[in-house]
Amino acid sequence: MISTGNDIVALQAINITRTHQPNFYSKILSEPEKKIYADLEYDDFPFENFVWLLWSIKEAAYKHLQRIIPDLLFTPVRFEVKQLIIPAFSSPPAFGIGQTEGEACTGGHQVKGIVSFGAYTLYSCSFISKELINTIADTEPLFDKVFWGVKYISHTDAENQSAEVRTFIMQRLNKVFNSSCLEIIKNHQGCPILLDNKLTSEVPVSLSHHGNFIGYSFKLPA
Amino acid sequence: MTRQEILDELKKVISPYTTNKELLASIDDQTDLLKDLKINSANLVDIIIDAEAKYDIEIDYDSADKMVNVGTCIDVISEKLNQKA
Repeated sequence: MISTGNDIVALQAINITRTHQPNFYSKILSEPEKKIYADLEYDDFPFENFVWLLWSIKEAAYKHLQRIIPDLLFTPVRFEVKQLIIPAFSSPPAFGIGQTEGEACTGGHQVKGIVSFGAYTLYSCSFISKELINTIADTEPLFDKVFWGVKYISHTDAENQSAEVRTFIMQRLNKVFNSSCLEIIKNHQGCPILLDNKLTSEVPVSLSHHGNFIGYSFKLPA
Repeated sequence: MTRQEILDELKKVISPYTTNKELLASIDDQTDLLKDLKINSANLVDIIIDAEAKYDIEIDYDSADKMVNVGTCIDVISEKLNQKA
């Protein structure tokens, strides 16, 4: 079964003071992961960004595996980030109020990682800007056939986030499949699934939203 | 504390993280934090930390991952309060 998972964190929506509290970050980071931060080559990578980067990697991995392990529960510390390659940038770029879409994991500003849960190992690819962290998770390190997108939205209420992320991904799916018979529903596990002419397609989709940002990923079968 | 007393306090813990105040007023054991109350998953750790402070308990990983709906939240809080007693 192919799967995909993505997660987005709006950095203006996080509580920086709370993120620095040990009782908070210890519910997200394992002891080896705390050492990854201590060993980072860059001393200008803010700790709060590290905590939420790992959160987004773990949640993207959870969403990926949720399709494979139906009863999976999200316990962040059980998803262990084993490796993290952070590019040498002095400060992340500004995202602004636009949108970006891509395929695979090829950008120079992307953080690449390896995350494991039990016997499962996944690769992560995270886009970091001043305003957000967006992560996709896949079984392959190159993210071949994985499509993703991130967009700024004006209104942050849950109904609008949900509607806008569906519109955003449908525009891309309609282009990729050249079809107007596609729709996204949620299955009994709460995973979004893509229907083509009312039939379940083989294309896994993942949706995320936080604050003023929405994101998606989907993967085409080989 | 009775389950009703825990529920009344739990509503106060959850309140900052949901905009659906109408549903919050009428939540029951089956109410799902993410699907029904539309709480962003990024706030789940906040709720656990706030619950720990509110009830003076410690919620371990195994217990925290069960807290997906109101009923399981009350179960976990009740269990931890009983362990403390």
